[in-house]
Amino acid sequence: MRKRIYYWTASEHINKPVIADTVLNTGVKINILKAKVEPQEAFLILELIGSKETIEKALDYLSKFGEVEEISKVIKRDLEKCVHCGCCLTQCPIDAIYMDEEYNVVFKEDECVGCKNCMKACPFKAIEIIE
Amino acid sequence: MKTIQEINEKIKKGEAVVVTAEEMIKIVEEEGVKKAADYVDVVTTGTFGAMCSSGVFINFGHSDPPIKMLKIYLNNVEAYGGLAAVDAYIGATQPNEDPDVDIDYGGAHVIEDLVRGKEIELYAEGYTTDCYPRKDVNVKITLDDVNQAIMVNPRNGYQTYAAATNSRDEKIYTYMGVLLPEYSNVHYSGAGQLNPLQNDYDPETKSFNTIGIGTRIFLGGGIGYVIGEGTQHNPPFGTLMVKGDLKQMDPKFIRAATMPKYGSTLYIGLGIPIPVLNEKIAERCAIRDEDIEVPIYDYGTPRRDRPLIAKTNYKVLRSGKITLRVNIEGREVEKTVKTGSVSSYKMAREVAETLKKWILDGKFLLSERVDTLGRAENKPMKSPITLVRDILSKPPITAQRNISIMEAAKILIKHNINHLPIVDEQGRLVGIITSWDIAKALAQNKKTIEEIMTRNVVTAYEDEPVDHVAVKMSKYNISGVPVVDNYRRVVGVVTSEDISRLFGGKK
Ligand code: SF4
Ligand code: SF4
Repeated sequence: MRKRIYYWTASEHINKPVIADTVLNTGVKINILKAKVEPQEAFLILELIGSKETIEKALDYLSKFGEVEEISKVIKRDLEKCVHCGCCLTQCPIDAIYMDEEYNVVFKEDECVGCKNCMKACPFKAIEIIE
Repeated sequence: MKTIQEINEKIKKGEAVVVTAEEMIKIVEEEGVKKAADYVDVVTTGTFGAMCSSGVFINFGHSDPPIKMLKIYLNNVEAYGGLAAVDAYIGATQPNEDPDVDIDYGGAHVIEDLVRGKEIELYAEGYTTDCYPRKDVNVKITLDDVNQAIMVNPRNGYQTYAAATNSRDEKIYTYMGVLLPEYSNVHYSGAGQLNPLQNDYDPETKSFNTIGIGTRIFLGGGIGYVIGEGTQHNPPFGTLMVKGDLKQMDPKFIRAATMPKYGSTLYIGLGIPIPVLNEKIAERCAIRDEDIEVPIYDYGTPRRDRPLIAKTNYKVLRSGKITLRVNIEGREVEKTVKTGSVSSYKMAREVAETLKKWILDGKFLLSERVDTLGRAENKPMKSPITLVRDILSKPPITAQRNISIMEAAKILIKHNINHLPIVDEQGRLVGIITSWDIAKALAQNKKTIEEIMTRNVVTAYEDEPVDHVAVKMSKYNISGVPVVDNYRRVVGVVTSEDISRLFGGKK
């Protein structure tokens, strides 16, 4: 399974390889979707990939060095604005967007990695990627 | 055989049988054309897509003292004012006057905001005359405040629209959306089996069975009319000119959009009822996605006549993927890529359903056309074109990569040039050196050509328009490009001086 989180680490941990340690200690795979490191604080958006157990272990480990908040959604689509055209569909590198039998454009939200390609292609500015 | 009057009588009595074009397919399949023609009275069609050629005539009423408006802006988007004192036409693709906003808020957005009942800022300047002493006016208005807002769209409702792909090695931004490099996606547009003109077409006579001037239609959620053939009308690529009252329209079916890095456009819901007067009409209304041929063109070629990549149909396109045979770097390869739509089939269905409901409720009667659609004609512009081959410096001065930097410098000086393409033994391009690279090499004490040459070279082809090369040069901020053939052999060089000489000579 995949889980995406916001992660803040405090300044005292910035010099530690927290992410690498998490991977080594728990066996989880981590995809860094966004990272902003400043002198006082680091902010990251991480995608954890692994079994339910490893992900939980990883979350535990990460919590020791900072604050974890789960992201339930990365994509926010304004369904008032979306006309289900499909201009975004071919832009997704991981096939997280498809058209169903009723010709609705559907997003598999838990697969999205937040690359923003769909957002940039939408003529109606209906997609927002939460950062 | 039925007549439109008979059908209208049935509609009034609530007895008419009205189905959508999708439903008609099933009926004909199951019961045959004859029976379908007997008991179905009306087939409703619909389409919902980007219709760039759309706009609205607005009459603002007179100010006190009056003004003859010359330059007119609605929320900073210019409307055409060469009509009369207080009339204007706002076109959907007109960009914003503010370069920071530009295509993100254009004419289409003004039109949608008006339909949504939002306040719009009107700014106009005029020249003063005895009747019109006022110089400028600046007020906030809504759709309710203007006298008329009449949508008149010169070209809507394309019968079939060609699909698009891209041969280039970079993404391109088109009115068909974002096309990925190396034929990696195909975008298409159109409602196919639900499309109004498609369902009314007679391929033998290349004309339309019932649609003509005066046909009453669904336009943007209100009632509109076909007022003639559209511009570029050329069946089976027929188009329509339509009009409707913006004040009746529904923001659900009038949606402003901006094609990324291309421009603003208006998505419009357009639906036409087709009276099933005979078997021939019934049969055509059962046309299916798989029966409609759609050509796929290469939008990566910056020419008017784009290369045809394949022919397919709406059924394949709607399946989500397609296999193309394409030529990538001289090799013929098979490639299965995703297809994406630019128009909305879901909304097209909603248009056809809404129109069906209107007719069933007795709110919408069919009209008899007063004339057929006019002349078909879609020929190219008689415009001059200059190709790269016309201004090429030939023969090309090139060098092998094993020469010294000193030798390269000598070549540049001897021939008085700034760009030296570096080639392999077969004459194929591997890099480029400019005089600037040589200066840099001196300063940084670099020794070999390999160290200083640019490997990712922007190139041009002999049959490419010069205009396109000029765009590339300014985009990549370079002053010269080698011209290569299909095997990447250098055949010449084009520089910005060659191009400016060309433009200088013309003026
Ligand atoms: S491109 Fe935008 S409007 Fe079209 S389907 Fe995707 S999200 Fe919806
Ligand atoms: S943000 Fe990227 S990964 Fe997510 S749905 Fe859009 S295109 Fe796919």
